[in-house]
Amino acid sequence: MRRAITRTILVSLALAALSVSGCKKSTPTSNAGPADASPGAKASYTIGMSQCNLGEPWRVQMNDDVRKAAEAHPEIKMIFKDAQNDTLKQRAHVEEFISAGVDLIIISPKEAQPLTEPVARAVQAGIPVIVLDRRVIGDEYTCFIGADNRLIGRKAGEWIVQTLGGKGNVVELEGLMTSTPGQDRHSGFREAIEGTDINIIFEADMKWLEPDARKEMESALSRFDHIDLVYAHNDPGAHGAYLAAQAAGRADQIKFVGIDALPQEGVVYVKQGILDATFQYPTGGAEAIDAALKILRGESVPKEITLGSRVFTEDNLDAGGEPIG
Amino acid sequence: MPETPDKPAQPLALDRAERPGWRTWLSSSSATALAALCFVLLIGTLFSGDGAFYKWNTHRDALRQASVYGMLACGMTFVIITAGIDLSVGSVLALVAVAFSILSIHLSWSPWLAIPACLALGATCGAASGAVIARLRIQPFIVTLAMMVFARGLAKTISGGRKVSTAMQLPDGSWTAADVPHVFRAIDSRLLGDNISVVSLIFILCVVISWIILARLRWGRYLYAIGGNEEAARLSGVPVTIMKVLAYSLAGIFSAIAGLCQAAQEQQGDPEAGIGYELTAIAIVVIGGTNLMGGRGGIGLTLLGTLTIGYLDKILSINAVPEASRLMLTGVIIIVAVLLQRRKD
Repeated sequence: MRRAITRTILVSLALAALSVSGCKKSTPTSNAGPADASPGAKASYTIGMSQCNLGEPWRVQMNDDVRKAAEAHPEIKMIFKDAQNDTLKQRAHVEEFISAGVDLIIISPKEAQPLTEPVARAVQAGIPVIVLDRRVIGDEYTCFIGADNRLIGRKAGEWIVQTLGGKGNVVELEGLMTSTPGQDRHSGFREAIEGTDINIIFEADMKWLEPDARKEMESALSRFDHIDLVYAHNDPGAHGAYLAAQAAGRADQIKFVGIDALPQEGVVYVKQGILDATFQYPTGGAEAIDAALKILRGESVPKEITLGSRVFTEDNLDAGGEPIG
Repeated sequence: MPETPDKPAQPLALDRAERPGWRTWLSSSSATALAALCFVLLIGTLFSGDGAFYKWNTHRDALRQASVYGMLACGMTFVIITAGIDLSVGSVLALVAVAFSILSIHLSWSPWLAIPACLALGATCGAASGAVIARLRIQPFIVTLAMMVFARGLAKTISGGRKVSTAMQLPDGSWTAADVPHVFRAIDSRLLGDNISVVSLIFILCVVISWIILARLRWGRYLYAIGGNEEAARLSGVPVTIMKVLAYSLAGIFSAIAGLCQAAQEQQGDPEAGIGYELTAIAIVVIGGTNLMGGRGGIGLTLLGTLTIGYLDKILSINAVPEASRLMLTGVIIIVAVLLQRRKD
C-alpha cells in the first residue's frame, strides 16, 4: 500500500515537472516587450502569436509565413508561443499577452469553446485579436482568416471527375475523421462526385499519418486489381499510398491526389512526378500580418477573410499553381 | 531461483520426457500465445476481404508492417524480463529516424558510418536510462518517461521541428528534391522474387539475436535471475547493475534498428514518428505471455505476439473496418489474450 502511494506521488511529481518545463519552453523567442514600445507615436508594435501545436509541419509553415511577413516590417516585433496541443496552455498564452500589454494578438486556436472567452477578454481589454484557421464561437474577435476545407474537397472532387472522365475506381484515404478538416475534405469531395460513375471502392481513416496511409493502401491493393486514383486528405497520405503502389509495381496505373501543397512537401512531390495534383490549404500567415498592420494603423478590415486555394499539377508548377474557387 | 525461459528451453528438455511433456506444453505460455495467433488467423479466414487474405502479398505486407513494432518489442522483452519497462522506445525510434535521414540525405554519409552512428545513438539513450535506473535505483517507469520526453525533444531540435525529407531549399527560396539514398531503397526493398521484405528479414534477425542472448548466453540467465528476484540474484553474484544497463542498452539498440527501418520506409525522418508505439510494443510482449512482473517469458513468445497484433491489424485493414470499431476490437482481443494467460497461472 505504502509503495503504491509513494509511486503515485512520484508519478505526479514527474508529470508536474514535465508540465512546468513545457511551460518554460514557450517563453518568448524574440526579446520583445513593453519596454520596446516607445510612448506616444507608435514607432513599433508588439504582436503576440499563439500557435496551438508546432508538432504539425503545416503549423510550422504557418509560423514561418508569419515570421517572414513580419520581417519585412521592421516596426513589428513578434512573440511566438507554442501551446503544444494543450488548450489550457493556449488560454494561458492569451492571458499572458493581455497582461504583457501587446498591441495585437494572433491566435490559431486548438478548439473553439474553451478559447472563446479568453479571446473575448482580450478584445474587451482593447487588444485586437486575429483568429487564424480554426474559429472561436460568437463574434468577439477582430478578424477571422481561414480557408474552406469543404470547398477544397469539392474542387479536388471536381478535378478528379474531370481527370477520370467521370468514371473510375477511387480509394479515399481520410484524415482523422473526428477532426473537422477530415470531415470537410470528405464531404466536399463526396458532393462533387455525386451522380458520376466514380466508385469509392475502399475508404480508410489514416489519421493524417503516412505509415498508416501506406498500410491501408497495401490492403486496398491486395483486394482490388483495378484502382484508378487515390484521393488522400493530405499530401503525406498520398505519398504513403504512392510508396505502397510503387512497391507493388502498380504506381504507373494509378493517379495520386493530395491536399495541403506545402512548398517543401506536396509541391515537391508533384515536381517529382509522385503526385498528379495537390490542392493548397493556405496557412494565412502572410495575410494575418497584412491585416494586423491595417488594424494597428486604424484602417478597417473585413470581419472574415476566406483564403483562396491553388491547385498544383505538373503543367502549372512553374507558374506557381493555378487559383481555384 | 528464476524459472527457465518458457519457450526456448522447455521444449528441448521436454522432448525426452515425452507424454507428460505434451500435456504440460498445452498449458504453457507458448501454447496459449500460439492459440491466440491461430484465433486471429481464423478470423482472417472468415473475413478474408474478398479473398485478399489468401494472397501471399497480404501476408508479406502484414509481416512488413508488424516488423517495426516487433523490433521494439524485442528490446522491450529484455527490459520486461528484468521486471522493468521502457517507455522511451517510440521516441528513440523518432530520434534515430531523424538522425539517419540527416546523415544519409543531407550530409551524404556512407551507410557504413551512418548506421553504426545511429545504433550508437540508440544504445547511448538506453544506457543512460539503464544507468540511472540501476545506479540511482529510480523506478524504470519514471526514468524512461523522462527519456521518452527528452528524446522526442532532441528529435524535434535537430530536425528543426520539420520532417527531414529529400526536399531541399535552393538559394532563391524554391524547393527541389534530392535523390532518395540507396541505403533507404535497399532497406525498403524485397528479396526472394519480391516475396519477402528486407524489413521483415531484419526483424527475424533481431529475433534470432535476442534468442541467442536470452537462451544461449550467460547474460540471458542473469536477466531472468534479476527479474525473478533481484536481491537473490545480487547475492548469488550476478552483476545486477551492468546487466540492467545492458538490458536497456539493448532496448535502445533495437529501437534504433526500428528507427532506421521507419526512416527508410517513409523516405524521411519524422520527429513525430513512433508516438504510441511503446504501448503497442508492451502489448505485443504481454500478449505473447512474457510476465510484466519479470523473470518469465521469452523471445519466441514475443514473435508470436508480434504476429498476433500484426495480423489483427491487417485483417481489420483489408476488411476496411471503421477506425472506431478497430479500436474496440483491438481492446477486446488484448484483454482476451491476457485472460488466457492468467487462467494458466
